[in-house]
Amino acid sequence: MAETVLMPKAGISVESCLIGTWKKKAGDSVKIGDILFDYETDKATFECESTADGVLLEIFYADGDEVAVLKPVCAVGSPGEDVSSLRPGGAGSADAGAAGGGGSATSDGSDAASVATDGGSATGDDANTAGGANAPGAGANAASGGGFASAADGGSDAASGVSGNGTGAATDAKVASGGGAGAAGVTSSGAAAASPRAKALAGRFGLDIGAAIPTGPSGRIIERDIRSLDRQIRQDGLPAQSAAGKASAAAATGSGLNIGCANPAGAASGVANPASAASGGAGSPDAESKGYYDEKLSKIRSLIAESMLQSLQNTAQLTHHHSFDASAVLAFRSQIKNSGDGGGTISIGDMILYGVARTLKDYPALNSHFLDNTLRRFTGVHLGVAVDTPRGLMVPTIFDADKKSLSQISAEVKTLAEQARSGSINPDKLRGATFTVSNLGPTGVESFTPIINPPQVAILGVCGTVTKVRQAHSGIETYPSIGLSLTYDHRAVDGAPASRFAQVLCRNLEQFTLLLALG
Amino acid sequence: MPKSLFVDPAELQKSGGIKFEDIPVNQYQKTISEARGEFSDEALKRIYRDIIILRAFEHMLNQIKTQGSYNGVETSYPGPAHLSLGQESAAVGQAYLLQPEDIIFGSHRSHSEILAKSLSAIEKLSDDALLDVMEKFFDGRILRSLESIYTAQNVKDLAIHFLLYGTLCEIFARSNGFHMGMGGSMHAFFLPFGVYPNNAIVGGSATIATGAALYKKCNAKSGLVVCNIGDGSLGCGPVWEALNFSAMDQYKTLWGDDSKGGLPIIFNIFNNSYGMGGQTRGETMAYDMLARIGAGITPNQMHAERVWGHDPLAVIDAYRRKRDILAKGDGPVLLDVLTYRLSGHSTSDQNAYRSKEELEAWHAADPCKVYRAGLVNAGVAPDSVFETMLNEVEERMTKVCRWAADESISPYADFKKDYFIIERLMFSNEKTPSFGDAVPKTLIPKEECSRVVQIKGKSRFAFDQNGKAVSKMKLYNIRDAIFEPLLDKFYEDSTLVSYGEDVRDWGGAFAVYRGLGEVLPHSRLFNAPISEAAIVGTGVGYALSGGRAVVELMYCDFIGRAGDEVFNQLSKWQSMSAGILKMPVVLRVSVGSKYGAQHSQDWTALCTHIPGLKVCFPATPYEAKGLMTAALNGTDPVVFFESQRIYDMGELFHEGGVPEESYELKFGDVNIVRRGSDLTILTIGATLYKAIAAADILEEKYGLSAEVINLHSLVPLDYSGIVQSVEKTGRVVLASDACARGSFLNDVARNITELCFDFLDAPPVLVGAQNWITPPFEFDEFFFPQETWILDAINDKIVPLPGHKDTISSFTAVDQLRRAKAGV
Repeated sequence: MAETVLMPKAGISVESCLIGTWKKKAGDSVKIGDILFDYETDKATFECESTADGVLLEIFYADGDEVAVLKPVCAVGSPGEDVSSLRPGGAGSADAGAAGGGGSATSDGSDAASVATDGGSATGDDANTAGGANAPGAGANAASGGGFASAADGGSDAASGVSGNGTGAATDAKVASGGGAGAAGVTSSGAAAASPRAKALAGRFGLDIGAAIPTGPSGRIIERDIRSLDRQIRQDGLPAQSAAGKASAAAATGSGLNIGCANPAGAASGVANPASAASGGAGSPDAESKGYYDEKLSKIRSLIAESMLQSLQNTAQLTHHHSFDASAVLAFRSQIKNSGDGGGTISIGDMILYGVARTLKDYPALNSHFLDNTLRRFTGVHLGVAVDTPRGLMVPTIFDADKKSLSQISAEVKTLAEQARSGSINPDKLRGATFTVSNLGPTGVESFTPIINPPQVAILGVCGTVTKVRQAHSGIETYPSIGLSLTYDHRAVDGAPASRFAQVLCRNLEQFTLLLALG
Repeated sequence: MPKSLFVDPAELQKSGGIKFEDIPVNQYQKTISEARGEFSDEALKRIYRDIIILRAFEHMLNQIKTQGSYNGVETSYPGPAHLSLGQESAAVGQAYLLQPEDIIFGSHRSHSEILAKSLSAIEKLSDDALLDVMEKFFDGRILRSLESIYTAQNVKDLAIHFLLYGTLCEIFARSNGFHMGMGGSMHAFFLPFGVYPNNAIVGGSATIATGAALYKKCNAKSGLVVCNIGDGSLGCGPVWEALNFSAMDQYKTLWGDDSKGGLPIIFNIFNNSYGMGGQTRGETMAYDMLARIGAGITPNQMHAERVWGHDPLAVIDAYRRKRDILAKGDGPVLLDVLTYRLSGHSTSDQNAYRSKEELEAWHAADPCKVYRAGLVNAGVAPDSVFETMLNEVEERMTKVCRWAADESISPYADFKKDYFIIERLMFSNEKTPSFGDAVPKTLIPKEECSRVVQIKGKSRFAFDQNGKAVSKMKLYNIRDAIFEPLLDKFYEDSTLVSYGEDVRDWGGAFAVYRGLGEVLPHSRLFNAPISEAAIVGTGVGYALSGGRAVVELMYCDFIGRAGDEVFNQLSKWQSMSAGILKMPVVLRVSVGSKYGAQHSQDWTALCTHIPGLKVCFPATPYEAKGLMTAALNGTDPVVFFESQRIYDMGELFHEGGVPEESYELKFGDVNIVRRGSDLTILTIGATLYKAIAAADILEEKYGLSAEVINLHSLVPLDYSGIVQSVEKTGRVVLASDACARGSFLNDVARNITELCFDFLDAPPVLVGAQNWITPPFEFDEFFFPQETWILDAINDKIVPLPGHKDTISSFTAVDQLRRAKAGV
């Protein structure tokens, strides 16, 4: 009876081996212990000894074939013996039994049954072919994946730049280089960083964490900043506030005014509401017993509500935040303040209105109305100016502002604001604006997202003055900075022109006397 | 360094020579016919039976590993199989005369030794004793399994099946293994038959077996110890340390009459000519004939001789003579037992290092054939008798293999059902105040010890009633706090021994043991050679044999010299033995200062990283006494860190000072040294005092109230106190003298970050030593954390301190990145 010689198991983890070279050929006589062939594992080369005496009847695998361990490699027996049942895939073999096919013992049969490995790779080929049909799609995916990955890399480099305070960014963030370093500046001085403890505490107190003044390392908001914010709010009291910034804090403490300082109109209305409440029933015995009082919406409140909601629901508005070096306007302001003649009442806000009017005339895209299927470009600049009144937000218009002098604008704003507050304003003065400016600067707002008054396509928010640092030849220097938040309707204007306008506006304000000189 | 031994220049300068005796080589040449007078035919046949049981066992494993089946039993296992196929007769010869109380230790190739010693013990133990062993082992669990599938002919037959089944289950990682499958092939053992742990580290058993022999000697236990190691292990330093340790002169020159003489140990080196594939004689070693090395250790040449291990009767003859030498107290002994491994080192061995001719020649000399032919030729029995024996053995082995392979009979530990199986085995966590039943040997009553008298006069708190600081000389300090519980334990536990470098006459390099030599005989307190591996390794052997040891490494930096013993032996044997072995060892290490780069390192991180070690680092006398007491009452290995900076520190914090009576601090607890509300400072070791200084500055200068917590216990560590503090303060600085990179405090910081994330007002900040060599003491302030560094860390990372100017250290992100990038 012929026997098979098995591929030895040459190690615990060895699953299969490669046959190196056969030392015997079919027909040779072999004895137990004779070297039949050598074989390789990933670790070493071994020699396979015959485990049977007789004639090498058939070799099932050739040089270089991979054979699973403990599988028959060849048959040894007496000349003429039938070895068909011993072949891999033969009738007697467990593998072939399952595979069926009758174990035809032809060379085809043995190939087909060289079992799992070969079968597996065939399936793999099929899969590859099938996959070919999807190749374009896969390629596209891969490409987009790659693009994403590199973007992410750039991002992480930029991020390392952040933690490196800009210095690290310069060395490491080759991809991000300029952008990364810029991002570093913003992030490290921005208000985003807050300790988990500060966040948790702000959540517990119901405070807007952005309202806290950071005192931790690298401008991080830490616990004590939330506590001092909380203390300040409680000391200042809630209802009778006059500053919009405080209204936002009040909103965060749960008074229900969720618009907060991020919304110019809302902020103004936030002031208006408690103010009217104060004159209404806040102090009434009824309110004290119930803990609240109801107030019917005034006509103007309803109009504001309707208008703001419409604006947010029906436009595609977004906001860009810019800032400009306020040294020039502040210097000019102190110059005229000290001059003693009538110019002493000209405010920073007036100067900005003047700057906006002069700049805007070159950017008709922002000085427009968005009508159903038309964009109406205006040749003159009619500036709406948001005014905080006891009855709510009102926006009187300075017509032809681009043609008026700084002192004219200053005087007109004062008159219109006074009339709006007293309720004596001519209704015609509350219409027709082509662009609006909302100035929350005196309240200390650092940035916000003003809401457009449709059909206008843009509104500029003016923020408070803050001290910033920048790199100078002599090292780090500080300078006063004023933030400008430009909201625009993307249906009417694209980001690039909107930003260009804001950029030029900033430059004009930084060279304010030059702007004045140019008229 | 004893004064009683005079180092005489006149003697030392005399000329002369060193004389050696001939070392016997294969002197036993009797034929079986000649030996028949000394052995009964039954004994000679039993020797054959034992040889073929061992052979069948190894053959079975070989079949399983290479073919996936043995006599029709289809099975396999992924673990190692370092077979001693071919070495059986040497193992049987060794075990033949050994008594059950004699114990053996082995290597990674020890299946034959385990089985031979156990078969010998089964032969010698009474039926009642055997039943008792099997009934008591794991409460009879393995026996029950066996009885459910096999009806034994008699108790010895049952015991043999029990032995083969338990050993094979261990190798197959089944829960019916002798240690629940947690050790496996290279760590199998069975204490009741005198089979002690085998070791996967080459030569690892040398120091451990020496410690076991020390235990027998110090506690007057009967029996000898056999240390089975291979010729390949003679290249290992710790083996040489063990040889010397076992033969130290002091056993004869200094130890008392009741404990005089060398250790009762035979270093049995199974010399199979190979260390894995490296050929020892002719390639990797220098000794030419292995037995020669005995002459390098002692004047009596360790009674070394070379024995032909293929003749079991030659080995028996050698053991008969060597046993008598040990009985006379003239050990240790070294035997060079020639043998040969017919199989590969492991199943992936391609025999690249030896020729076919060599293998054939050794096959021809196979003791299974040669000894059997000798028996037939001498007329002990006809060959058919041995053929029948062979068949019976194979039949039995097939049964045992089937049982062990069958998961319904021999299940694996079920981790899906009980994930915590190993977790429970990591520590024994028991309290055993004494392991001894004898009266502890001491020289004088405790009260008469000069140190005890001195301590009595000391103040146990650093300040007097008026709050005035007590002078250092009159202050009970950390040295005293370590000494006191240790002294008490010497009077309580007769098994307690303590040794290390210079611990006796010198009183320890840092005077912790001063006065201890007055009260203890050498057998309980002695100077060890400068052999750190042997100091720790013998402690391991001493403890797993049933005693308690306090061993000392002088400087923490010397842990490197005892790396394997600390990291692989001390830490692992409790769990690898499935809790059968206990490891009551206290390893004292001292963190230095002033002595430069190789004498000043805090390596707590290395020890805390290794599973299975308890690690503590007291920094106050109150902590030191409480932790030492707990360590000495416990059953787990404790690495006890001390700091040379603060040995003379009195108790500054614990109200009422250090109690005179005994008390334990719970391992895992933390010591809240100072209460505070704005910031938590966690410390390890001497840095506690820098933290206190920093806390004072924070309070006085910045109005910040710091809570200072000392982590006197690192493993285990109960985080609840830490979490409570950090939840309160939201800010935490962690400081120790360890180099910052990879410091244990990083682990603590990570856990705090995860456990307290929403409470954190800043990231936990680590203040460690620089990642440099320790510079000379003159530059200490630039290398080790200072109180100002703690302030720097707070200022840069936690809360700006108005007006604070950073000192030399820098905790800014830029510097952090730079240093990491530079690897410093």
